[in-house]
Amino acid sequence: MQGNSLRRRSIAGLPAGSGGALPALTLVGLFFIVPVVALLLRSVTDPEPGLQNYAALFGSGTYVRVFLNTFLVAAVVTVVTIIVAFPVAWMLAIMPPALGSIVFGIIILSMWTNLLTRTYAWMVLLQRTGVINRALMGLGIIHEPLPLINNLTGVTIGMVYIMLPFMILPLVGTLRAIDAMTLRAAALCGASPLQAFRRILLPLSLPGIAAGGLMVFVMSLGYFVTPALLGGTSNMMLAEMIAQTVQSLLNWGLGSAAAFVLLVVTMALYAIQLRMVGARRLGGGL
Amino acid sequence: MKLILAGVLAGLLAATAAKADEMVFTSWGGTTQEAQTKSWAEPFAASSGIKVLQDGPTDYGKLKAMVDAKNVTWDVVDVEMDFAIKAAKDGLLEPIDFAAVPKADLDPRFSNEHAVGSFYYSFVLAWNKGAVSGEPTSWADMFDTKKFPGKRTFYKWSAPGVIEIALLADGVPADKLYPLDLDRAFKKLDTIKSDIVWWGGGAESQQLIASGEAAFGQLWNGRVFALEKDGADVGVSWNQNLTAADVLVVPKGAKNKDSAMKFLATATSPSGQAKFAEASGYAPINTKAKAEMAADVVKGLPDAHVDGQINLDMNYWAEHRDEIATRWYAWQTK
Repeated sequence: MQGNSLRRRSIAGLPAGSGGALPALTLVGLFFIVPVVALLLRSVTDPEPGLQNYAALFGSGTYVRVFLNTFLVAAVVTVVTIIVAFPVAWMLAIMPPALGSIVFGIIILSMWTNLLTRTYAWMVLLQRTGVINRALMGLGIIHEPLPLINNLTGVTIGMVYIMLPFMILPLVGTLRAIDAMTLRAAALCGASPLQAFRRILLPLSLPGIAAGGLMVFVMSLGYFVTPALLGGTSNMMLAEMIAQTVQSLLNWGLGSAAAFVLLVVTMALYAIQLRMVGARRLGGGL
Repeated sequence: MKLILAGVLAGLLAATAAKADEMVFTSWGGTTQEAQTKSWAEPFAASSGIKVLQDGPTDYGKLKAMVDAKNVTWDVVDVEMDFAIKAAKDGLLEPIDFAAVPKADLDPRFSNEHAVGSFYYSFVLAWNKGAVSGEPTSWADMFDTKKFPGKRTFYKWSAPGVIEIALLADGVPADKLYPLDLDRAFKKLDTIKSDIVWWGGGAESQQLIASGEAAFGQLWNGRVFALEKDGADVGVSWNQNLTAADVLVVPKGAKNKDSAMKFLATATSPSGQAKFAEASGYAPINTKAKAEMAADVVKGLPDAHVDGQINLDMNYWAEHRDEIATRWYAWQTK
């Protein structure tokens, strides 16, 4: 959240020419703009000047497939995260503040635990000889282990778990800002709880859903560790493919091109989102 | 822009580079690097006074980046031999100074102008005895899901091994493996694709077999050796074992080249090789090393299993590395 307020300040400071934004701009320039430009240059100069890396990228069935798969996984993860996060966020929003801050603390705590450790923990739980399969087989519910790992199911479970806080936090902000009286008014006018949810709560919480959903989607697009460990090769995501291209094939040009395309797509999505939701509401939701 | 970035990176890297009486050795981590530290780095530091800093794991992308940026912080690196041949061609390696590294007793299969052998190993067929009934005896059994049901685990990356295994299982005679018939290999691999679990590193292969998560696997013999030492209930078949080698290289522009060459002399010496082989179960590349080893250790080494042994063709792989890798990842992600 801090990163976002920083960004907002630097953007707001830019037209005014405020000197206070200079350190932030230098930081962004040095650690963001310069590497991105270097990346772009590499993709059109390595091994020789030209667009051959991009031609290879879009001409290769492998890369196109991995691209599509990356978007599919990110979309599935985003949708499932929203569905799981909404009730949690709603509960947090209506809870007494003291209790709410404890639950909040627990959610935040999970973010402080090492990502790799958490992913390995899921491996132990999900594998064929893992806790879940053993328990279900012990209870006689299943006779063959369920395929929970090395596939889309494994990636989705692992990534939704990691993404939840990023969805819950903006959602709680939005939900808390909704006047509870609107729901009571809906009930008084004869709306069923489902109707109240669909016609009042859901539309009013859209900015939070959009903000959180976008963040989850964009973060998912570039994820490496969790898909690499919990997914199978047939649903490989782009980050892993880029790592292989650079590390194993030593093809930095092609890897840079793939990374650059991912960046452009991500930025485009962000721009569309800003336009749809409106920058101020998006920021307010956060 | 690029210059600024390179300058910043160079500054950061320089801050971590080794001092004059130090050098950096990079390998793959885990039990293998521990054995290399004990058998090579510690005796070398004691006799030469040069401190050997350990880094890892080996990363070919990083190695190339260091050489390209002319800021090389690794002095000796353990790499796969097919990579070494390709890297030498691409100008990424220093030539070995054979005035400092005695060459006479080194197995010529694993040394060339830019690399000396580190150790050599075999891919063997290993299985979890609790998860398998009967004894698989050939790679063909790993493709026979009726006779031997269960998940099988193979090396995930494009490297010498799995393609050859598929061809052998499909009935290609060992002396007709090269040039590799990739279409035939992938067709054979397709028949068991949904039963394959990939392992990306040695520790993962051990975990998969020891837990029974995969019933069978293509494993490095040293990793099976370590499992047996730990008392895991594993079976192993050396039939059609496939040998390949790791080699030690000095990246172009290494800062402590002279120390690196001296280190190579210790690492490839008969005693250095003997100690490492005893600790790891991998075979020595110095022909005099076996005289210094216990007889029961020698019995367990890859070169005690030459019957039906097949040498993976590193030169073929070095030449076709990229082409095979492109096909490999295209098939894997399908």
